[in-house]
Formats: sequence, C-alpha cells, structure tokens
Amino acid sequence: MSASLSEQGFCEKEAKESPLDVAENQWKEDYAKQIGDNNQDIKNMSGITVEPLYTPDNIKDTDAYLKQSGYPGQFPYTRGIYSTMHRGKTWTQRQLVGLGTPADYNKRVRTMLELGANAISLLPCNSGFRGVDCDVVPLPLLGTCGTVVNNVDHMDTCLEQVPIDQISAAMNDPSPFTLFAFMLNVAKRRGISWDKITGTSNQSDYISHFVANHMFYRLSLAGSRRVLVDHIEFCREHVPNWNPMSVVGQHIQQTGATLAETVGFTLSSAIQHAEDCLARGMDPDEILPRFTFFFDVSINFFEEVAKFRAARRIWARIARDRLGAKDPKSWRLKFHAQTSGVDLTAQQPLNNIARTAVQAMAGIFGGLQSMHTDAYDEPFTTPTAKTAKIAVATQNILREEAHLCDVIDPLGGSYYIERLTDQMEEEALVVMAKIDAAGGMYKAVEVGLVQTMCGESSMANQELIESGKKRIVGVNCYQDEEEEKIEVETTRPDPVLMQKHIDEFKEFKKNRSEDAVAKALDNLTRAANSDDENVFASVVEATGVGVTHGEIISCLRAELGFGHPLIVA
Amino acid sequence: MGDLTTQANQMATRLRDGEVAALARAISLVDSREELGSQIHRAVRPYAGEAEVIGITGPPGAGKSTLLNALVSELRSQNKRVAVVAVDPSSPITGGAVLGDRTRMGEHTSDSGVFIRSLAARGHLGGLSASILKIIDLVDAAGWDVVLLETVGAGQSETEVAEVADINVVVNAPGLGDDVQAIKAGILEIADVLVVNKADSPLAQRTERQLKAMLQLRREECADVPVINTVATTGEGVDELLSAINEKANTKFSTSKNKRLIDRVRRLVAQEAAMQAKQVVLSDQHPATLALFESILAGECGYEEATMQLMTQSYAHTECA
Amino acid sequence: MEKVFPNITDIPARALITKIGFDGHDRGSRIVAAYLRDAGMEVIYTPPWQEIEAVVQLALQEDVDLIGISSLATDHLIVPELMQKLSDAGLSEIEVFIGGIIPEQERPMLIEAGLGGIFGPGSSREEIVECAQRLAATARLRKQQAMAVAS
Repeated sequence: MSASLSEQGFCEKEAKESPLDVAENQWKEDYAKQIGDNNQDIKNMSGITVEPLYTPDNIKDTDAYLKQSGYPGQFPYTRGIYSTMHRGKTWTQRQLVGLGTPADYNKRVRTMLELGANAISLLPCNSGFRGVDCDVVPLPLLGTCGTVVNNVDHMDTCLEQVPIDQISAAMNDPSPFTLFAFMLNVAKRRGISWDKITGTSNQSDYISHFVANHMFYRLSLAGSRRVLVDHIEFCREHVPNWNPMSVVGQHIQQTGATLAETVGFTLSSAIQHAEDCLARGMDPDEILPRFTFFFDVSINFFEEVAKFRAARRIWARIARDRLGAKDPKSWRLKFHAQTSGVDLTAQQPLNNIARTAVQAMAGIFGGLQSMHTDAYDEPFTTPTAKTAKIAVATQNILREEAHLCDVIDPLGGSYYIERLTDQMEEEALVVMAKIDAAGGMYKAVEVGLVQTMCGESSMANQELIESGKKRIVGVNCYQDEEEEKIEVETTRPDPVLMQKHIDEFKEFKKNRSEDAVAKALDNLTRAANSDDENVFASVVEATGVGVTHGEIISCLRAELGFGHPLIVA
Repeated sequence: MGDLTTQANQMATRLRDGEVAALARAISLVDSREELGSQIHRAVRPYAGEAEVIGITGPPGAGKSTLLNALVSELRSQNKRVAVVAVDPSSPITGGAVLGDRTRMGEHTSDSGVFIRSLAARGHLGGLSASILKIIDLVDAAGWDVVLLETVGAGQSETEVAEVADINVVVNAPGLGDDVQAIKAGILEIADVLVVNKADSPLAQRTERQLKAMLQLRREECADVPVINTVATTGEGVDELLSAINEKANTKFSTSKNKRLIDRVRRLVAQEAAMQAKQVVLSDQHPATLALFESILAGECGYEEATMQLMTQSYAHTECA
Repeated sequence: MEKVFPNITDIPARALITKIGFDGHDRGSRIVAAYLRDAGMEVIYTPPWQEIEAVVQLALQEDVDLIGISSLATDHLIVPELMQKLSDAGLSEIEVFIGGIIPEQERPMLIEAGLGGIFGPGSSREEIVECAQRLAATARLRKQQAMAVAS
C-alpha cells in the first residue's frame, strides 16, 4: 500500500502539467492578485459555498475548451475579459441623464450619484444633435429629450460639484465632440490635469449612425471619419485615460438587425475604425486598449448572453491575429450595455419594470462592464425623477438581493449557452465575410448594403409582430380591454427657466471677444482643410475662447460636408 | 366641354404667370392622363421650347442624386431657374412607389428658384416618354430655364425616357460590382456626356478607361463624347460638367433652337411609331400577313425583308385606328 | 366609416412622409412609407429635420394629397404651426396625420388644429393604411371641388 502510494506520489511529481492545469493556475494567480480586499467566502441561503468560477470537472477535450472558452481574463475571453469580473468589481452603473437646462441636469445627476450610480452620462438636447444653438430654436423643442449645452459655462454648471477627476463620464456626442471639448476646458478651469479624466466618447461611431440612427451624425461620412481619427489621436496624446472610441452596436440592433448581424456589423465597424487609425501610422496597441463597445441588450435573454460571449471571442482573435495587437489589453472587448427601449410597451407600462430587469440580467450574465437601465415610462417621455430611481433600484436588487455578481459566467457550461455561443459566432462571421467582400464597413455603408440588410430584418420583424407570431404581452396577447390608464407624467422643462437660459446665452455671446472667436474659427477652418492638422485640437481651443456648439458645427459642415442619409427607405 | 376648355385656359394662364400651385396641379392632371390635363398641355405647348432639357441617368449607387444636387447648386450660382423632374419606378405588383430623390436635395427645398417634382413611372407599358415630355413642356412654359430629368438607367423604358432630353448625361462610378457592365448598352448609345463620379476613388481611372474602350466599340463619333470626372459630394468637377454639357448643346443644336425641338419631337414620334406598329402587327390576323409568316418559317423570306414588305405594302395605306 | 372615393380611383394617391423638429429616429416612418407603397400609393419620403417652410414648399410642388408626420419626441408640438402655414399657402385641402408618441393630454390640441388621424404605438398596418386611403380620397375630392368652383 505504502509502496503504491509513494509510487503514486512519485508519478504525480513527474507528470507534466497539462495545458488545462496551466490555464487554471494562471487564472487562480490572477484572481488572487486582482480580488484584493474582496476576497471573501460567499455562502448561499442553503449554506453552500459559492465559488467564483465553475468549470467542467471532466473535460474530455481540454484543447477545445481552452480554445473556445478558456478562463475568464484569458484569450479568447469568452467567459469574461477579467479574471474577477463582477465578483471583484461590480459593473458601473451609468445612467443616461439628459433634460432641460444645465441646472436641471446637475440636480438629477447628483441625485443619481447619491443613489449609487458611480459614473455619469450626459445626453444633449435634440437641437444639439442637429448642431444648432438654443437661441435659434422654438422654445417648446428645447430640453425635452436632452440637456441644452452650447458652451463651456453650460458644461461647468452641468458638472458643478461633480468630481470629474474621480468619476467616469460618458459624453453622448458625435463628431466633432464639442461636449467633450467643453469638459476638457472645465477641467482646465478647475486645475485638473487631463490625465485624470476618464470616460468615453459614447457616440463616436459615425458608421453606426449612418447605418441606423440619423439622429447622431452632423458631418458627412468622410468628414466624420477624418474628425474621429483626429479625436483618437488627440486623446491618445493628451487625455490618455479617456476612451475616444465607442463602437456602437446599439443603433444597429434597434433599427432591426438581428443579434448576430449586430455583432457582425459592430465588429466590422471596429475593424474599419482600427484600420483607419493604423493607416495614419498609429500602433494597434496604442489605440485598441481605448476602444470600448456599446450594445443594446434586449429581452431575448439567452440569445443576448450568447451574443456577448461570441462577440468577445471573435474580437479577441481579430485584435490579435488580424490587427496585429500584442498587448492583451487590446484583445479585450469591454462594453457598456443599455437595456433596449424597443422591447418596452406603452400598453400596461408597469410591465416594463419586469422587462428591464430581465434585460439587465441578460447583460450581467453576458459580462458587461457598465450598464444603463431604462425607466418604465420610456415609451412616453424622458424619465421623471421617480421612475429613474426605480431603474437604478433594479440594478441594485439584482446585485444585492439576487447575488448576480457572485459567480463569473454562471451560464458557462450550459449545453444551450455553449452551443448557442458557437452558433452566434458562426452567423456573425458570415455577416463579417459579406462586409469584407464589399471592401469593409465604410464602403458597405456608402453604397447602402448594410442599411438594406437592416431594413430587410426590420420589415421581417415587423411582419412577425403584425401576424402575432412574435407575442408581446399587452400588445398582441393578454391585452387588457379595461386597462386603467395609469397616470404618466410627461416631463417638460420649465419654460420660464429655459427662456432665462436662452437669454443668458444671448448675453454671453454679446460679452465674449468677437476677435478671439473669429480667429478661432479661422484656425478651425484651416485645420479642416489641411491634411495634417488635428481638427479636434482646434475644436478644444475654439470652445475655450467662447465659440459655441452651433458655431463649431456650422463651420465644420461648411468645410467637411453636411451629413445626409446615404440611402432612401 | 366648354367648361373644360375654360378651365384649361385659366390654368394655362396661371401656369405661365409662374404660379407654382397651377404648375403642380397641371402636372398631376397630365400625369393621370386626364382630358383636362391634355387640354392644358396643348394650350401651353406653343410657349414651351425655351428650356434646356438635360437628362441624368445611370446605375443605382453611381451618385446621380448627389450629382444632381451639385448641378442645381452650380446652375443657381449662375442665376438660372432650375426644375428637376425625377422619375422612379413603380412597383409592378402594388402600383405604389417610394420617391426618394428629394433626400439628396434638402438644401434646395427653400429656394424659390428651384422646382422639384418626383414622379413614379406608373407602370405604363408605353407612352411614359410622351407623358414625361408633356410634363416638361408644362415646366418649360412656366418659365424654368433648365430642366434636369433624372431617371434610373436600368431598363429599356428608362432609355426611352432619356430620349426626351436634349443632352443626356450618363453617370457611372467605380466599384459598382460589375463596373461598367452595369451600364446597359442602350444608355451608352444615347450618352452625350459621360461622367465618372466618385473620381477620388483609386479605381476611378480604370472606370474611365473602360468607358472609353466601350465607346470606341460602339460609336464612330466616340471622340465627341467627353468623359468628365466628378466628386459630387464636394462639388469637384461639376463646373467642368456643366461646361461640357453646354458645349455639347451648342454643337448639336448649332443650327437653330427649332432644330432641337424638332429633333426631340422626331425621337418621340419614332418611339410612338415603334410602339404603335408593334401593336398593329401583334393583332394582325389578315390572311396575307399569316401567309407571310409561313414563308418566313419555310425559309422563303428573311425576317427583315418580310417586315419591310409588311410595312411598305400592307400598312402604308392602312388607316390607323 | 363609409369609404369616400372620387371618380379617379385608379390613380395612385401621393403622400409625403416626413419628420419636422429635431428628432432623427426614422425607423417608424420608413415602415409607414413601405405600408403606403404596398397599398399602392406614391410616397415622397424625406429624411428627418425638415423645416416647416420646406415641407410647405414640397407639398405645393409635389401636389400631395396627404402628409404623414412621425413624431417620437416633442416635435408634434409644432404641428399646429405646420397646419397654419399649409393653410396660408392655399393648401388646406391636404390632409395630415401623425404617428408616434403623442401624450393623451396633447391630442385634443392636434385634432383641433385639423389633424385627420393620430396613431400611437401598437397601431396596426390595416388601421394606418385605411385611414391614409380615406384621408387621401377626401383630399382629392376637395381638390376637385375647389377647381370646379374656381372656374
């Protein structure tokens, strides 16, 4: 007996470590390092210890497991981009806020921060998206869907008492990123160095806008491309902890693309943006670590989880093998998810709270880094303070009560999820091959290929709804004939305060230095027409001397082209 | 129909006075083949003929609408009053259509010196050209200096519509899948000016070479067909295009304005003639004609000779229904 | 509601589908444009952000029978201004309908301004097409009558 035991021991010592063991040990090491103070034992209600990760006990084909799934924080990151994921650090609660005047914004955002949000997001007024200042807009259209921010002072008010050197900020602002330029100037005023600024240019993906959201582009396709690369280059040098590139899958999915198509188009867009930067001489490892992604998360629960897992796997391989990145930070698909407003209904709106909870769960199990949850009155109005609180509470409940943070990739290993992940990957790769054949995402969008594909998917979906094959509770099944109309408050900004805001803005324009403004606009014009000057740098300078949002955009539209839809219905 | 004639004359007067509502309504009436429309057209016909009619056609994706937009801007900067007539196909199944040409022309919607009318082909089996020509006459009589007629160069009926124009511009772009194969043969025949749009593409030079090669194969006077490079999104090359169009117009119609109008009428009558003759032959059951068909089958007579015989002998003295 | 058709029933109606104000989400308006096309109408489709003046000019030049406005944000608040400008331009025969997110409390104002139809979320293709066809037919009849009176 003792002989065989020592024999065993002898044999074990001599046996080589298998690749699986290597990977597992590496993960354990990384986990221990990164978990830090959060390294606690967790027990569930039944007293059972909850491990941070579960793996197949008997993996027959360890090579396949490592190749396709691997450990969290290890290539290809199917199970998560970090070794600790939410167990180490919960997802960032980043709720979209946008309404009324800067003072309204500031009030709401401070409430959100008190309620546990740990990041902020600013959504400008529709007039801002169109590139016009508040002094030329009819009063009823101002501040109803976003905050009216036209100069640095407005941004300063928005961020009053918000520690922008500690809190991550998302600016929902497409080219030429004037809101971020305002914010950089606010940082300057406050003596905060730009390397302390963290966050994301959330709507920098002009390609997604031309495909699917005419709300979000101002300049022509070519003009947007130019300014984006300038923006990335500028941030790489001057604001190194900011993510200038947010590749957006949200609009594409919301416009009707299937989930697999969304992954395909989004990753193809990421390739296009990366290649544009590489063409300018940037190194992949300089830019890819600051690429983030922004996805919709719908109520198709399992499909969403599989979608995110597949997306991570595909992107890791592209970043490493196709784009030539060597730093693992470049291979990790980090993403923010917004629960999809498309699934919410105007009929029986309180049901939307349940819907949002399910969507949020899908995002959490899908391994998001940051999340926004919609309020239930989204189909009617910009959320009120009351409904916005419920949206935040939903995330808190999932974390604190359902303990969804305790285990990394808990659905990993489910026969369904693993198979579905593979299938989503296959479908997405088919779409990507089509885009490659068309010469890349930029060209494909230019000729309308992507828009047409999305349009077809959208009509197909519409047909499913109309025929009743796609069942929506309260809409085409389980309707409530005697539904009591619940009181839905419509949020509108106070017209008196908004008028005051406009009047103050007019005063501001009278009192600023017209010389400085004219000079700055000349510089901006010159930069736009040059081949090697950085347009975004000129935008930052111009906003610093009082040039307004509308003035910057008019100038750049004249030089770089006005953005028009590329194809018709 | 005294009432109708009075109405027609009143509309005609208002139209010629420059009233946009009258022009717009008259176009609708002509487009829907109403008697009132025909009468209005005949009332204004003598006053039409001043406007230059430029046809713009080409495969989808070539950037026609964007180019059109740039042309309108260029013409406006020369103080010309410009009308655009854009024809899109109708669904053969539902009869409906989405007319999206205005999508590219947003900047001109508020300019009172620009008139834009979107038309659906309405699945007319023939007579589309005649309908369009009447509409152009209306626009012409209303005082517009230049009429830009935009069609999608994809099928035969579009080729026919193009013949309504005095000068035809065919727009191509690199990288449209099959490159110049996308241009149907018929369109190339009638092109007076060829455009390579998206000329900033690295493939543009190849497209230009292919076009010139195709021209040589098809036409003797290929040297007379200029190939202009444009970048419609920035306006580059558009002034050159306009110059080329004007030069072409001067050469073609150097003799007289009337020549231009007579040429236009001739082309349209030729189309009508072809269509009417086709209808007659298709329904001809005369024993002599049937015997002629038999002789073709037996190899006694060739197709061309038989047709010539039919036209000159049998139909020369036939009353048209 | 009894169908009202003029005697030129075979001629396709001409409809304009557009968005005024600042919102750019046009998925819904594209779908409605497709509905109307499939129902045999000729649809002039514009991108979003049309100025009211531009819409009036367009309606005039294109001799449309019907205008469909898509409004998801608060752009419906300026629709009465559009109605007024249409009337000022002599285009009061044109019928206008609206679809999107229109709060209940703001609907009476729109009906009073002369809108022929308001479609919220969940409206079916049949409802929208039936209304559009009825409105277009009404507009045509009114145009015919107006012309007869004028002569």
